[in-house]
Amino acid sequence: MTDSVAASGDNSRDNAITDQIAKALTEATGLLRGPQRVVPLIQRLVSDKLRVTFEQRHLYSYATTKRSSGDALNSLLRWILDAQRPDGGIAAYYSLLSGYSESYPEVTGYIVPTLYDCARTTGDDDAVVAVERATQWLLSLQMPMGAFPAGLHGRLRSGLHGDEKQPSVFNTGQILQGLVRAHVETNRPEILQAAVAAGDWLVKMQHADGSWFGPAAYQNVAHTYYSMVAWALAELSERAANRRHGCSDHEHSLSYGLAAERNLDWVLSHFRPSGWIDGINLRGHPNYLHFIAYALQGVLECGILRQRSDAIEAVAKSSWVLLRKFETNKSLPGAFEPDFKNGQRFTCLTGNAQMSCVWLRLFEVTDDLRYLNAALKMNEMMKPLIPARGGRGVFGGVGGSYPIWGRYQPLRYLSWGNKFFADALLLERRLKRSFEASAFEALPCAS
Amino acid sequence: MRIVVLCSNVYSETGCAMAVRMAELGYVPAGALALPTLDRGTVVRKLGQWGARDVIRYASAKLIPHRGDGRAQVSNPYLQPLLIHGEGVFRSLREVAVFYGFPVAVCNDQNAPDSIARLKEWSPDLIIFTGGNILRKQLLEVPRLGVLNVHLGLLPEVRGMSSPEWSLLNHVPVGVTIHYIDAGIDTGPVLQRCEFPDAARCELLSDLRNRLIAFGVEQVAEVVAGLDRGTISASPQSDLDEDHQFFVMHEWLQARAAARLTKRRSVAVAESVNG
Repeated sequence: MTDSVAASGDNSRDNAITDQIAKALTEATGLLRGPQRVVPLIQRLVSDKLRVTFEQRHLYSYATTKRSSGDALNSLLRWILDAQRPDGGIAAYYSLLSGYSESYPEVTGYIVPTLYDCARTTGDDDAVVAVERATQWLLSLQMPMGAFPAGLHGRLRSGLHGDEKQPSVFNTGQILQGLVRAHVETNRPEILQAAVAAGDWLVKMQHADGSWFGPAAYQNVAHTYYSMVAWALAELSERAANRRHGCSDHEHSLSYGLAAERNLDWVLSHFRPSGWIDGINLRGHPNYLHFIAYALQGVLECGILRQRSDAIEAVAKSSWVLLRKFETNKSLPGAFEPDFKNGQRFTCLTGNAQMSCVWLRLFEVTDDLRYLNAALKMNEMMKPLIPARGGRGVFGGVGGSYPIWGRYQPLRYLSWGNKFFADALLLERRLKRSFEASAFEALPCAS
Repeated sequence: MRIVVLCSNVYSETGCAMAVRMAELGYVPAGALALPTLDRGTVVRKLGQWGARDVIRYASAKLIPHRGDGRAQVSNPYLQPLLIHGEGVFRSLREVAVFYGFPVAVCNDQNAPDSIARLKEWSPDLIIFTGGNILRKQLLEVPRLGVLNVHLGLLPEVRGMSSPEWSLLNHVPVGVTIHYIDAGIDTGPVLQRCEFPDAARCELLSDLRNRLIAFGVEQVAEVVAGLDRGTISASPQSDLDEDHQFFVMHEWLQARAAARLTKRRSVAVAESVNG
């Protein structure tokens, strides 16, 4: 989720602050329109205050909960299904002040794989219906050049959430992920066509150094977290390679793969020896864990698909720094200064869930159980923060920050937070099963 | 050889057993420094490590006098030979101190200036750490030889926490390492590392830990005697990067480590039956 981070286009810090204040005031007026939201708001503020005040952390501790992963997963899925708007898109967030936002194309795109995985795991047919509606809506949004628009659907104002008429590299990449998966699941040719058009546009927009900047990039500058786009291109390359119906598929596959690796090389050149990744480049905002984790996820997944051990090693190094911080302090700061210094006190729940995904994938590729251990504890810590009661928009929601008034997306439950935490729980479930199976085989047999 | 024992609290069985073992060996401690029993940090840590039920059980065993031979008052059965004596059972370090005649001091922070001053008064050649704070440089510089730690895993393979469990899951032999403490986590020079021969006899992780603690006390005794005779010297660890550091293990993985222990035991039993 990029474009929901508020910032004025002209990048001055003052403008950004003014913009944030304006946004907060606008959102606060939502309470006047929906006074029924006052009680859930107060409940959440009080419960987070109590939790922050009384939770005990020491070196031997980690958060535990009786809530099962299956139960948490069901409630996360329910939240996503509830957030589907009449047009078929998924809302960006539910604000405790102003209620649901408009549909958000970017998240609607990359939530597609999550919905398919959830449907398979939980057997919930509603998820399949929802994902088909979402895909149909996405197809209707594609611009003639193959790109997808920035911003929330229906918001024409530029700046706050990007300009809807403006094609967006990042959103196109995120939606491409969903299209590739939707095609794998349905084999519908129009979905592949849309994916190829999106992929072609991304390749065309890429600069020689492997980055994307200019009008189709957020704040017009290149960002290392656009490695998520590289991941999507690498997936498209795999898909095209698997089809291999003709010469053109093969050429397409090559061009997407090369574009993905060009970006991968560019992002890797921004990794510091400390593990820090330069080039997050969100002017007027701190380096939220969400974006650091994006960069890591993109590089890792692209590295796995392209069999680039240098990428996996770079991610492992950075992730280890974060793992140590998490294991020592029992939580991860929501934002950092360069070299992972001066971590802020709030926690970015989306970033936490993403790091859980990164650690789980690293466990999968390295067999290092410490990654699995950290991810299990992270998921355990997250589960009690998901409301087990409440109305639509609250029940099963993943807050922007913990405590809920933290700096990242305060007083909101985020669809992309739900997506990543559901991904983390699904991965946890799959890897636990494969670990059990392999551990059983590895043990010596008495007979 | 002048020895001082550091403990997490005066009711620490490991601390008591270590002091007794040193006294038996002829090195009656010059003193023992413990953290307060009702120190908030200690109580919270123990609650986190053991759970409320075990903390209450432990506290009642130590604080309420029992009839009988005292076995019920020793939580770790493998320390009973050291803690049960002719006249009863050592329930606290104070009782050990009265029996052998050495001073016990309680402090809020083992690194605090008054604690350092107290340690300097005892002018130890060696400090044996059985629990307490993370030790700072000023304290580490007090003893002539250094501060000894018993690590319940083989170094450098398994550093940090939940070492027996990580050893089981990573197919590293279970064992203990006696090493000097330095500024890092389990990175100090190693005096002795021993694989634990009875791991296959353990059914539960708690049983394995208890046995390792008792085994560690014996290894320290060997090391102290060796240092005194000049037959043991420390070797720096070869691999000091962070790759071998482990953190407290999640209960799901602990259950897998426990299953591995049970499986090992059944294999060992089957092998002994088959001859």
